[in-house]
Amino acid sequence: MTAFPRVAVIQFPGVNCEAETLRALERVGLVAEVFRWTRPAGELRDFQAYVLPGGFSYQDRVRAGALAAKDPLVEVLHGELERGKPALGICNGAQVLVEAGLIPGGSGVELAVARNRMRGRTGYFSRWVYARVEPSPCVFTRELEPGTVLPLPVAHAEGRFVGSPGRVPALVRAGQTPLRYARHDGALATAFPEHPNGAEESVAAVCNPRGNVLAILPHPERAQDLGAVPRQMVGPWPEARSRAFDDGAGGAEAVDDAGPGLRLFEGLRRHLVEV
Amino acid sequence: MARPERERGVAQAWIELVGSDPEAWSALSVARARLPAARGLESLRRWRLVELGGSLPGAADLAACLHRSTQFYNPNKERCTVRNAPGDPAPVRAGEVALLVRERGGGRRRAAERWWAHETGEAVQVREAVAWALGFAAGVDGPAAAAELVALSDRRHGLLCNPFSQIPSLPGSGIPLPWITPGGEPGETWNAEEEEW
Repeated sequence: MTAFPRVAVIQFPGVNCEAETLRALERVGLVAEVFRWTRPAGELRDFQAYVLPGGFSYQDRVRAGALAAKDPLVEVLHGELERGKPALGICNGAQVLVEAGLIPGGSGVELAVARNRMRGRTGYFSRWVYARVEPSPCVFTRELEPGTVLPLPVAHAEGRFVGSPGRVPALVRAGQTPLRYARHDGALATAFPEHPNGAEESVAAVCNPRGNVLAILPHPERAQDLGAVPRQMVGPWPEARSRAFDDGAGGAEAVDDAGPGLRLFEGLRRHLVEV
Repeated sequence: MARPERERGVAQAWIELVGSDPEAWSALSVARARLPAARGLESLRRWRLVELGGSLPGAADLAACLHRSTQFYNPNKERCTVRNAPGDPAPVRAGEVALLVRERGGGRRRAAERWWAHETGEAVQVREAVAWALGFAAGVDGPAAAAELVALSDRRHGLLCNPFSQIPSLPGSGIPLPWITPGGEPGETWNAEEEEW
């Protein structure tokens, strides 16, 4: 084991968010590298944390994440997560974790990330939404005050967390849903477009009971720069953006100031430093 | 041109790629490599199964409508087998195990329904699901192996259907008609309100 925490950004064929994910990890001071599916699975054990980025692993064949979930890499990953190493699955990465039964982390597969379906709206959807931080043992969000609202982008066609009757509400009660879709004022979002996909209980992310594994549908790596937060959003983050850009206070370099999505990667860094 | 004679009924369009189907090949490859129940799995084929219910024309006119619309399939890369009577053959081969996987509460094809109404003046319901044909080696209990392969339960068991978002149907014998349409599967609970979304 190396002295400095190393993070593997696991890339299956079709994953396409590895570069910005790598950048987000490096921005918070972590050493990270892309770990492609062609490498021996056992080499994953040399890393202290893992990120499964977004994209379309195996072209979403059969179901999003279904084929990658059977990959030998995921078998090794399971063993490392059992030892308490942290893992973040973003969008397609979240779908892989759910299809592999690593989230919510009971025994076997307990959820699906189903096709988006809101009243009057189905299919692929891409826009910025608000996600509210919930009380949770999740290592990625535990530094954030519950009730904090983060503007984050979503871009998916299959983002609807569903389970057997009562399962998702039970996850909410157990603190395993660290992020839920909300309105800008923090009220829970129940209707499209604030709630973009029809997930039960407006769940945007699910973690395991221990909190070291997180499956999140919004893309924090796409919100790592303050300049990426859209003008039409409301709240402290867009206000900070407005101060930096529209008021001319921040200068051109302010485009790279830390954005809301970076907070999750900072949570990972703090956790790795602690352990 | 005389308006074709119509009758109320259900028809199926079995749509498959003319060339190799990468989705089926990937599923076959991963299943054989990772799932114990797939050791005897020798072939796996896939169709988009579209089912139309309502006032439908005869088989020839039905096939012509499906062919000229852009809503159902692309004849440059896909072929379509129409089935509008229980006795019509489905493209599943003898010995293969047929499987249908459809989304819970989903599957309606509203754009196709609008096209059909515009084109023919008739209101039909159009639903889509995925049909698979699983071919097993001689001596393998195909239906039992297929049942194990279908419903995802963990990394070593199941692939083709996540039961929390999808519903599988493995008919005992023959290919049902209807197969997707409500009432096509005895005992199935169909949430009509949800489907109307």
